[in-house]
Amino acid sequence: MPMILSLTLNGRPRTDLVSDNLLLVEYLRDVAGLTGTKRGCDGGECGACTVLIDGAPQHACLTLASRCGGRHVETIEGIGSPGRLSRLQRAFHEKLGAQCGFCTPGMIMAAEALLRRNPDPNEAEIREALSGNLCRCTGYVKIIESVQAAAGDAT
Amino acid sequence: MTALRGPAVGRRLPLIDGIEKVSGRAAYTADLPAHALVGRILRSPYAHAELLDVDVAAARLLPGVVAVITGADCAKPFGVLPISMNEYPLARERVRYRGEPVAAVAAVDDETAERALALIRLSVRELPAYFSAEAARAPGAVLLHDNQAGNVLREVHDEFGDLAAGFAAADLVREARYRCAEVAHGQMEPHAALAEYDAERRRLTLHSVTQVPYYLHLMLAHCLELEESQIRVVKPFVGGGFGARVEPLNFEIVAALLARAACGTVRLNLTREESFLTHRGRPETEIRVKLGMTRQGRLTAAACEVVQRGGAYAGYGIVTILYAGSLLHGIYDIPAVKYDGCRVYTNTPPCGAMRGHGSVDARHAFECLLDTMAAELGLDPFAVRRANLLSVPTQTANGIIINSYGLPECLDRVERASGWQARKGRLPPGRGLGMACSHYVSGAGKPIHRTGEPHAVVELRLDFDGGITILTGAADIGQGSSTILVQAVGEILGIDLGRLRVVATDSAVTPKDNGSYSSRVTFMVGNAAIDAAQRLRDILLAAAARKLESRPDRIECVDERFRVRGGEDPGLAFREVAAAALAQGGSITVKGTFTVPVEYQGGKHRGGAVGSTMALSYAAQVVEVDVDVDTGMVRVEKVWVAHDCGRAINPLSVEGQVQGSVWMGMAQALGEETRYEGGLPLHASLLGYPIPTIMESPPIEVHIVECLDPNGPFGAKEASEGSLAGFLPAVTGAVADAIGLRMTELPITPDRILEALARRQRDSRIAAARGAAS
Amino acid sequence: MSLLPSFELIRAASLAEVVAARRSHADCRLLAGGTDLIANLRHGLGSPATLVDITGLPGMQEIAIEPAGLRIGAGVALSRLVDDPLIRRQAPVLAEAAAAVAGPTHRASATLGGNLCLDTRCVFYNQSEWWRHSNDFCLKHRGTVCHVAPTGNRCHAAYSGDTAPALLVLGAQAELGGGGGKRWIALDELFREDGAAHLALGADEVLLSVRLPIAAGLTAGYEKARLRRAIDFPLAGVAVSLRRDGDALAELRIALTGTNSRPLLVSGCETLIGHPLDADALQQIGKLVQKQVAPMRTTIAPAHYRRRVAAALASRLAARLFSAPTPA
Repeated sequence: MPMILSLTLNGRPRTDLVSDNLLLVEYLRDVAGLTGTKRGCDGGECGACTVLIDGAPQHACLTLASRCGGRHVETIEGIGSPGRLSRLQRAFHEKLGAQCGFCTPGMIMAAEALLRRNPDPNEAEIREALSGNLCRCTGYVKIIESVQAAAGDAT
Repeated sequence: MTALRGPAVGRRLPLIDGIEKVSGRAAYTADLPAHALVGRILRSPYAHAELLDVDVAAARLLPGVVAVITGADCAKPFGVLPISMNEYPLARERVRYRGEPVAAVAAVDDETAERALALIRLSVRELPAYFSAEAARAPGAVLLHDNQAGNVLREVHDEFGDLAAGFAAADLVREARYRCAEVAHGQMEPHAALAEYDAERRRLTLHSVTQVPYYLHLMLAHCLELEESQIRVVKPFVGGGFGARVEPLNFEIVAALLARAACGTVRLNLTREESFLTHRGRPETEIRVKLGMTRQGRLTAAACEVVQRGGAYAGYGIVTILYAGSLLHGIYDIPAVKYDGCRVYTNTPPCGAMRGHGSVDARHAFECLLDTMAAELGLDPFAVRRANLLSVPTQTANGIIINSYGLPECLDRVERASGWQARKGRLPPGRGLGMACSHYVSGAGKPIHRTGEPHAVVELRLDFDGGITILTGAADIGQGSSTILVQAVGEILGIDLGRLRVVATDSAVTPKDNGSYSSRVTFMVGNAAIDAAQRLRDILLAAAARKLESRPDRIECVDERFRVRGGEDPGLAFREVAAAALAQGGSITVKGTFTVPVEYQGGKHRGGAVGSTMALSYAAQVVEVDVDVDTGMVRVEKVWVAHDCGRAINPLSVEGQVQGSVWMGMAQALGEETRYEGGLPLHASLLGYPIPTIMESPPIEVHIVECLDPNGPFGAKEASEGSLAGFLPAVTGAVADAIGLRMTELPITPDRILEALARRQRDSRIAAARGAAS
Repeated sequence: MSLLPSFELIRAASLAEVVAARRSHADCRLLAGGTDLIANLRHGLGSPATLVDITGLPGMQEIAIEPAGLRIGAGVALSRLVDDPLIRRQAPVLAEAAAAVAGPTHRASATLGGNLCLDTRCVFYNQSEWWRHSNDFCLKHRGTVCHVAPTGNRCHAAYSGDTAPALLVLGAQAELGGGGGKRWIALDELFREDGAAHLALGADEVLLSVRLPIAAGLTAGYEKARLRRAIDFPLAGVAVSLRRDGDALAELRIALTGTNSRPLLVSGCETLIGHPLDADALQQIGKLVQKQVAPMRTTIAPAHYRRRVAAALASRLAARLFSAPTPA
């Protein structure tokens, strides 16, 4: 049954008619046109769809859009400001934390959640925070370096 | 314009398309906007069956269904190798593996497409199915393909040198068997295609995840019986490949067939499970190696038998079984080498090319036995490799010419960095060190299609805006090939890299390229880019010379200033020179090409083309592990790897590629394995197929060895595949060092480790009991 | 793309609303964090017409010390269990077990109640609709045969929640609520050894909270065997709690997950009480575990490995806890 969904998406309020069974990942990609959030698996196994809901990292592929009413949803498109990459985005770019780039939006969102909570994480904390996000290209070495560089930039 | 001046080659340049990737703007196939119908594929629930009828009548009648197609809609078999095309986009007459596409639907939405699939009825007569090479080869087995006796796609028997004399001259001859499980690429982006058919003009446009747009283009024309000129293939951003997409795949052709049947646009996004079913990974492989060695560790002869469980269709199979043999050569000096390979058809998803194509499992077995024999002779693993180094230039027995060979330095670097001499054998219980070497081609010397065309073509276009567009058909799939082309062109022209842009992989615009496989792009397309840049530079130098009233050979361009060499004159800015050049006739387009000389296209023996290359990369690595004998878990503590990639055009990128290769070797060695239950994959998800997480991924310290190759672009060779294979034997060596057991079956999952430990305990109890009895 | 079946989502604000919703909607499932349910629905494992969101029920999000012990609402997210100071002080083993669940992104939405009531898992069950259809389905869902044990008459899917063993060794109780009101049971009684019906909940009952007795001097830990150190469900998970009196063991509880269709509280541990935990005793622990667990072919990893590693982890964990300093 369709319901009215009002939420804040990347800082802007928005209202849509959605059905109860619409997944947040479908809402973001197909309704809001934000395709930076990726589908890499058949449900909750890869982390490519990680977004922030009220600041916490969540799987958009396991979240019902209809449960996001009144909440703040942030996607990769809302990170950084126009014309200026965020420190994490810049670090992933410069340190080669992204190769094919497919896991990158989810990886950056998970890292963003970490740095907001813990601006100066050690390596173990970085690993822990990104442990639900799979990457097939990098072996994670340069992903860890990217997060470290971004954290270093902030201080 | 961003100032990106100074020498371009050797610079740690971030990927030129990195900003799109980190900002979420990069559009992959599934992200492309389109008002498209939804395509879905019906897949065979049977492992092996005669297809008597595919009844789609009810599906066609379902409101919202626009097209339903079956094997009847395409009678042309396809395949990447012209000599073994035996797969249909949708099965005809026979299904040969569970998951094989049988029919497809285009509908207004997912739900309707799903319901339509459920209405399709299959009538079949089931046939005996074979899930192992052994079962498929057994006498009396039903043939998967009528013209392939014994269910064998290809047998290879090669012998170079005097094998008998070699083994006779050895002080130690040993033989061992190894088994490597089938593994999958697991690229993060599931398969997807977007097909648009213009029915009025009978033209097709296909966007797909392919690594080989040109081969896909050919197969689309072949299967749809359209002229190539009526087809446009575009590769958008691609989320990894590793070989999964180096052949045209059934779903890509199905998408095109659906679009034509629907007279419209069809989006076909495969699930993760379907991406696993499409497979093309590294086959399950049984290897038997026999080596002869002198007391000093010198190899006298090598014999290797390889059997690959290839799956239901040919694909790249012939090449895979040939690679396993041809890359026994080219890394060590071995007087005699014999190879017997056999590629078998089975009722499992077709195997194909995967990073380190064909070479990985055989290299693993070879290096393992080398270590075991060295230990028996009391030789250090490094010493036994050093005893067998090649001296270059040389030509291998199977015809590969080698001009650069950085393996000795690779060995030195990782031996030093890992503290091998001080630490090996002195680590606490449960800890161990292992090492191994590996190598790989820098592009296959002989192309698949013998058209007589160059191996690579790059075009450069300069116009009024002062920007230079690099037009290339080479597929950047995340490995960063477009970035390398920018560096190559920028280096030759001496201009700001911000002036360069790459337009790639759109058949309507870009020159044909054979694709991203066999680590060919940097080497071949890089050389073509240099050639093109030199031609454009000649034009610019001539224009500058005219304005500066000098001769072209006296002009130099550094950081965008054209000056008479040694002169006082401030010279001309790039834009002034470009304007002068354009004044001669308007926009300038130049073309550069690269062709592999015939002497580098392989030996004259049957199959000699496979393994042929102009340059080999080399790698050595040391792996340190910790083995938990209670749980059987092997934890990799650290990897030191040295990779000879010739000139590192982009050291940042080289590090990333080498780390990715080593890590993928780790994934194969420690846990990944496809598993079938009656031909149904148990592993077809990212829970069932355990791609390592960041938690168990070790630090990987990369040492770049730059042993320049005279034929490489700026001396460069491949960097993306050669260091994968070495991880497997290095980690089993490290485990042997840690717990005294050399595992012969991969992956070395915790259960296999505990089983081996338990077996050893049983054996030693039995031995003790016997000792007590006697 | 896997699609969700179409359903109506009801947000229940009270237990009465849950009961009413379940009475008026036949095909109804409870939704908390959704990490298990939504993933399963995406794979076609059920097509409920109604989902009832129970995270808004009173008390579901509470963590509080009460006279009878530490009460934790079933709707508390696992990530909160990991970080909550009260949990870390009073029941660190629960924080440890919660931290071992999947990855941080799962833990941010997954709840304690959801993890306790986690559906059982099996390689023949957690597959796509096409897959299960190709395999004639299975006893747990739409089929008649358990492919794990085709001659048997029950489903062997394995229980895979990580938090249950941690709570069991702490002697937790579970609060259930339904049409007939609320009741407390020993957590152990919530589970049954039947993969197709492993929860002993009444048809209209909901798990509302769990309660842990505050026990002085008890030390406990959780260890999990899995191929990857994140994301994976346990091949075997072991929780141990013990109290030491001088050189002797005064109390010992061992519970397992991943090996049976229910979390298993190991029996026979009392024979070790009053003795030091020496090599013989550790071997005894291993034997008790080996004898009582019944892993079947429900995972890609072989069953014999899960049996072996469960025993090894139990004795190792017991040894570690026995030699650890006694908590205040």
